[in-house]
This record gives sequence, C-alpha cells and structure tokens, in this order.
Amino acid sequence: MLEKIETMQQALGRTPHLVRLGRLFSDIVLLQVDEAEYYLHFDRGQLARIEPGPSRKTPWRFALRTDAEALRAFWEPRPEPGFHDLFGLVKIERARIDGDILALVKNLRFFKEFMALGRKGTRV
Amino acid sequence: MSVEPITGRYLTVDIEGRTQRIYFEEAGQGRPVLCMHTAGADTRQWRHLMNDAGITGGNRLIAFDMPWHGKSLPPEGFETEEYLLTTETYIATVLAVIEGLGLDRPVLAGCSMGGRIALQLAALHGDRFAGFIAIEASDFQPAWYDIDWFHRPDAHGGEMGAALVSANISPHAPEAERWNTQWMFMASGPGVFRGDLGFYTRDDSLIGRLGQIDTKATPVHIMVGAYDLTCTPEDAQRTADAIPGATIAVMDELGHFPMSEHPEGFRPFFLDALARMRAGQEVAA
Repeated sequence: MLEKIETMQQALGRTPHLVRLGRLFSDIVLLQVDEAEYYLHFDRGQLARIEPGPSRKTPWRFALRTDAEALRAFWEPRPEPGFHDLFGLVKIERARIDGDILALVKNLRFFKEFMALGRKGTRV
Repeated sequence: MSVEPITGRYLTVDIEGRTQRIYFEEAGQGRPVLCMHTAGADTRQWRHLMNDAGITGGNRLIAFDMPWHGKSLPPEGFETEEYLLTTETYIATVLAVIEGLGLDRPVLAGCSMGGRIALQLAALHGDRFAGFIAIEASDFQPAWYDIDWFHRPDAHGGEMGAALVSANISPHAPEAERWNTQWMFMASGPGVFRGDLGFYTRDDSLIGRLGQIDTKATPVHIMVGAYDLTCTPEDAQRTADAIPGATIAVMDELGHFPMSEHPEGFRPFFLDALARMRAGQEVAA
C-alpha cells in the first residue's frame, strides 16, 4: 500500500491542474487501510510526505478509513456501483470519514482526484 | 460548423403572486414533452435529447429553467431572500408554464427533484398530463450530507456541489459529458443548490400521496441508474412498488444525470419510456 501511495504522490507532482486545485490545501490526512495508518502531509497541493503510522501525535484534519479490498475495487478502471466514489464507499459502508469533514468538502475535487490517481488507466 | 435545432425564448408568468420571467427551450414537433432539470442545474441537461432527430421527430421537447436557475432570473427582491424551494411553489411553477405555453396534457419527464415533482403532480394533478417519466425519482431521501455546506461565505458552493454530485455520475459516462454535467453545478447561483436540496431532502409529503396516483389514467414510468448514490435502485423500486401499475427500468451503466452524463446510454431507455406514455387524445377519449 505504501508503494501505491508513493506512486500516487509522484503522479500528483506530474498533474499540474491538480496541484493548482490544491494550492490552498496544506493539511494532514489520515488514510487508514484495514489496520495500517498512513499520514499524508499535503503542502500547497503537493503530497510532501507520507508518514506511516501508527501515531498518537500526528494531528490529522480528516481521516478516510477503509479496507484494502474496497480500495482495490475503487481503483478499477470502471468500478462497480458504490465503489466508484469515496462517498460511495461510505454509503455502502466500506469506508468512514472522520474529523473535519468540511475541510474535505472544501477540497473535495482535489482529494477525490488525488485518490483516483491510483486508478488503473488514469492519465497522469 | 453547425446550427442546432434548439430554440430558446422567454415566458413571463405570475406564480403565487410574483412575476417570473422563465427561460424555455424547445425542439421537435408532435406530442409535447415537458422536461424538468435536476437541482442546482438547468435545461442544458436535456441538450442531447433535444438535438436527437429520432426523438424530436414525433415529440415536441420543451425544457425550462426554474426561477433562480440558468437563464431564468430570480424574482424582484431576491437580494434579501433566502431561496428555499417548496413543493407548493414547484407545482405552481410547472402548472403556470403549462398554461402559459398552452400545452395540452404534455408528458412530464423530470429528473431527480424533477422526478420527485413529477410524482407529486401525478398524485395531485394527474388529469393535466398524458403521463409521467420520473427519472432518478423516489418517494423521499433525507440528506446524507449537510446541505448548508453549499452556501457559505468561505467556500465556493458551486465547486463543492459539483464535486459532491460527481459521486452520482457513472464511470461509464464519456469524460466530456461528465464535466459538462458538473459545469452546471459549478456555475449555479449562490444558495440555489442548497435551496433545491431543502425541498428534496426535507419534504416527505409524497410518501403519503403515492397511493393516490392513478396509472390507468396516466402512466408512470420510473427510471434509475445503478450508479446513483442519491436515489438508489432500491429507493426507486420502493417507490414504484408503492404506486399500483407503475413500471420501472434500472439502467446498469448510468448515474443520476443520465440524459446529460451519458446521452447514448440513456437514449434507448428514454425511447422506451416515451413509448409507454399515452397520446393526449387517448387520455381524452
């Protein structure tokens, strides 16, 4: 999973429109996949650092908690209904969003498109 | 170079004592089909069907922008108002447009909140229509998000609304139409999406009226995309089950904005729906 997130980190750096969309987004996001935690340190639209957890000290803004199988389905080129969107994962109870959800919604397109960078066939 | 057959004009009508200047577009000839857009958007959602000669050859498609949407300005004095759509105002608006345009028992095709109001009209004013095509329509769903997010001074409601509703667009939709569909949300007036959602997520009055719908007099056909997270196939099926005689089609590769996001995929389903509607003269017979 860490390797996958690193691939997405590199893809983000090669996606100028996404960096521009995230230019006001500098926050820490917790991505929890099963029991594994990854603290994503975003800095002005770039993913500056990936900090593997667990951590009791890292102050995250919002968290996306899901499982590896759901993420695999989300990253399919044409996902099945419910697996096609982050809020879809929440609706079918394969993910949960915690923390400052308004911070997520304000940057929703940026974060959704960042997460979709893991999708097979995504042009980056 | 090409010029499309769609023409647009303005209709000024009185609705609940207020003057409203309403923009409408039409294309085609034959039986009138009044097309209603979703929350937070406008008639552009119907652009593909209105340019489809296979549909407009026998049907006069008419779509209008609800007040506050698209090219219909808000009413005079809007600057001090909070826009909150109600079932009563929505019904009055549709009936005023029908009367203003002199439409004789049109088919009503509405999507999302347009589908919801189609079912309200089926229950309360069925005799004014030849049939109802209720797309992404259900009895009621409470919001699974805070609708107040979409009208704040510290955020762009249009951008947030578009990013939210992208959850309802099928991954099978062509990329260009996915973004055209989202553009309308990005460009909608401040507070308009929120005001529409107030109607959609808080008014559950349709639930108790579904049994009043007489599908023998006016057919009701419900259509739902499998990728719709807002009105799921289960929501649509529950609604169809509560309307004796209603029919339903589940569209496996489509989402919440099928006519806009994936017109080619939607086309056969819409033609099938039109075929299920009666001609106006049959209703009168």
